[in-house]
Amino acid sequence: MEQIESLLNRPKAYYNIDGVGELAGGFMCLGFALLMWLQANAPKESAWHGMPVFIIYMGSLCLILHYGPKAIKKHITYPRTGFVQYRARDSRWLPAILSAVVAAAVSAGVAIALRGHWNLTTPASLMGLLFAASYAYGFARTVRWKWAVVCVVALGSLVIAANPAALVGSLADHSWQGAFILIMTLYGVVLSVSGGISFWLYLRHTEPPAPEAQ
Amino acid sequence: MNRQIQTIAELDRVIHEPGRLMLVALLFAVERSDFLYLQHETGMNKGTLSSHLSRLEEAGYVEVEKTYRGKVPQTLLRLTPAGRKAFEQYRRQLRGAL
Repeated sequence: MEQIESLLNRPKAYYNIDGVGELAGGFMCLGFALLMWLQANAPKESAWHGMPVFIIYMGSLCLILHYGPKAIKKHITYPRTGFVQYRARDSRWLPAILSAVVAAAVSAGVAIALRGHWNLTTPASLMGLLFAASYAYGFARTVRWKWAVVCVVALGSLVIAANPAALVGSLADHSWQGAFILIMTLYGVVLSVSGGISFWLYLRHTEPPAPEAQ
Repeated sequence: MNRQIQTIAELDRVIHEPGRLMLVALLFAVERSDFLYLQHETGMNKGTLSSHLSRLEEAGYVEVEKTYRGKVPQTLLRLTPAGRKAFEQYRRQLRGAL
């Protein structure tokens, strides 16, 4: 029975067989970190504070995140190890409501912390530990070496928490954004490296089959 | 006859065969997939995989669609509603028997 349940989970794990899921996640985090850094450090009259540049930047990021993985899957993954079309979720409401609740809770937490002039290094690092746990559940369960990634994320989050707030804040003109820039950069780099290694291993261990083999 | 033994005797034999069970379980979790994916995941050779898929198609559990990806022929496979129902029932029966 357990073997059947494990078979039912294989298609989900297949999505990241080539590391593309992580590469996309890493790209997104680095994109957010870069935008936050630019907004925190650019002069007040700079275009980086304007809505048009923000929309263009986010739009480009979304387009790359949407079409990039699709292109890799179409030209590299599907010809090598096969095509999978996933089932649409039976209910889109539950994930949407859960996401909204989590987003509202995080926003409220940040707003309260800012009003009280709290140090945001610790909450940002706690977010990192949460991320490490969800990464362990999502990826490391199926690929053993990815436990090393979980350890790096968890350790990195603790190191950020241990740093003096002034040092972390100096990344973003001594504002609260410093901790988030640091944690986003950490996620971005770790996910990109881990996804890159998975992608390299995938290319190394798979060959595109002869046309008649499909 | 013992009820548990009777449940085992009533298991769907088309699905119960290990090779076909793997295929049905993999297809149950997706909307559809191609032949190459099933071959990669199960490690079966083309002949064995084709034979199992034909058996499942005969039983009305799998729908086969021949198409092209660019100029390359592609065989797409999907579990039919009857196949989904049969697999769900199979899981229920197996759980009950164990």
